[in-house]
Amino acid sequence: MERKQGLGFVGALWRVNLLSAMEYRVPFIMQLGGMMLNNVIYFAFWVLFFDRFEEVQGWTLRDMMLLFAVVASGLGLAMMLFGNCRAIARIVAAGDLDRYLALPRPVLLHVLASRSSVPSMGDFVFGLIWFVLAGDVTAAHALRFLLAVVLSACTFTASLVLANSLVFWLRRSELLADHFLNAMITFSLYPGTLFNGAARVFLFTVVPAGLTGALPVEMLRDFDAATLGWLCAGTAVLAAFALLAFQVGLRRYESGSAIVVRI
Amino acid sequence: MSIRVDRLTKSFRTRDKQEGLAGSWRALWKPEWRQVPAIRDISFRMERGEALGFIGPNGAGKSTTIKILCGILHPDSGAAEVLGQVPWQDRQRLCYEIGSVFGQRPQLWYHLPPVDSFHVYGAIYGLDRDATRRRVDFLVDVFELQHFLHTPVRKLSLGQRMRCEVAVSLLHAPKLLLLDEPSIGLDIVAKQRIRDTIRYMRDEEGVGVLLTSHDAGDIEALCSRVIVISDGQLIFDDTMDELKRRHLTAKQVNVRYLEEGERSLPMAGVETVAASRYGMQIRFDPRTVGVDAVISGLHGLGSMVDITISDPDLENIIGTIYAENALDPDAA
Repeated sequence: MERKQGLGFVGALWRVNLLSAMEYRVPFIMQLGGMMLNNVIYFAFWVLFFDRFEEVQGWTLRDMMLLFAVVASGLGLAMMLFGNCRAIARIVAAGDLDRYLALPRPVLLHVLASRSSVPSMGDFVFGLIWFVLAGDVTAAHALRFLLAVVLSACTFTASLVLANSLVFWLRRSELLADHFLNAMITFSLYPGTLFNGAARVFLFTVVPAGLTGALPVEMLRDFDAATLGWLCAGTAVLAAFALLAFQVGLRRYESGSAIVVRI
Repeated sequence: MSIRVDRLTKSFRTRDKQEGLAGSWRALWKPEWRQVPAIRDISFRMERGEALGFIGPNGAGKSTTIKILCGILHPDSGAAEVLGQVPWQDRQRLCYEIGSVFGQRPQLWYHLPPVDSFHVYGAIYGLDRDATRRRVDFLVDVFELQHFLHTPVRKLSLGQRMRCEVAVSLLHAPKLLLLDEPSIGLDIVAKQRIRDTIRYMRDEEGVGVLLTSHDAGDIEALCSRVIVISDGQLIFDDTMDELKRRHLTAKQVNVRYLEEGERSLPMAGVETVAASRYGMQIRFDPRTVGVDAVISGLHGLGSMVDITISDPDLENIIGTIYAENALDPDAA
């Protein structure tokens, strides 16, 4: 039987994820709208804040809008396309990696693309709307925004794969991975100039939230090749570490006998 | 050769914990680790197109062996080749050649109809749309899936779902099918349908079958050769006929009488299994008591209206093997 070796299967997985999410119409629409509303309410705090203070160490309300736009769309894109990046620890702990290992595709890519989060579609759309509302929608700026979103999505995916891969050594690290995601989102949504010294190093290494929010926005505000270079290099290093951690950890995988259905 | 396994060994590291809160507290600060052997020095061969049964109690190492042969787990030591490839080194390439079903781990998308899952698996196995459609049509006919192909999996019966699971594992026309408890939880009719379709695919496409099951009926219906594994060790590897010949040490007789009465057959080597007002069931070892002696003894107890002499089923034979090896069938 003739076989295609390409990545077409990823498209088929995304399609089936969407079909699965749309199987329940009302929850689908509620989750999508709910996440957008949630983001609007969260942003209201910054509107009130900047009503009293014009700027925070050089950051204005418009910068905050761009920050929310990049982070929401970046996280939304990561969770839409690679929704299992936040669930690897749970999948491994339940022994559910078996179903991917029994199929002829790269395990990590297959795992990542096997789930799309519906609320994250709301995040993604919210980010696009916020970018438009922030103004300056020229073709060049929009292109830079898309680049920032893609790099942010790659960083979210890679850092979550890295954090979740700890499960191969710790055996149970689901909560740790959840806390890591929360920390990533929280620290991503602060103005980059708030943090200096050790805190800044922390935000570009242990919890690389600087790469998902502050640095992409700096690139959007004053585009220069050096910032883009740092952003690309940081994302590539994280991705390499994530891939290495998963592949090395996979050798320690012990399977299991829990009964898990494919949703 | 389809499968070659030489001295395969695999153990898992597990933590022992005493009961209660105090035990948990102690284990938190001073964990006690232990290596638990899952399989020990297992060796066997399987020819292409052969149907091989893999029997053993819970925790015997059946699933661990299958997972190693699929490339899911790495062994501690030993060698194995499946269709000429080392599973844990050539996993991706091997997966194009084998199909696997894990009864406890469904492959189909729960909220979607099976047809959608079939098309995703077609893409995963690198089949183009037309090839997938042709193969799905064929499998739908063979497995009789027409009536529920477009019904969400969550609404299917367990039997219907399992037929779809086996069908999807055959989508890419594998040379070897690894089935781990495919009939778990199924009723007798559903089991029979699964067995019939697997047998059909085995005969029609020459697919080799390695089957683990707790249901001896599955093994008896599908496999000509059987391996018995217990406590991680291989304790029997031969044909089904040889298994029966070697361990068929008892015959069972059911007899019904015309008149009501209390009866027993006091003969050495004869054991009464059950008795009722009109009949009885006895068991005897034909190597020590002659069949004719038993029949005439039963005849002497009254006027018989019906008598059947049968061999014990495979379930009992396997129970005997476990007992001979002094193992608890429920040991996990």
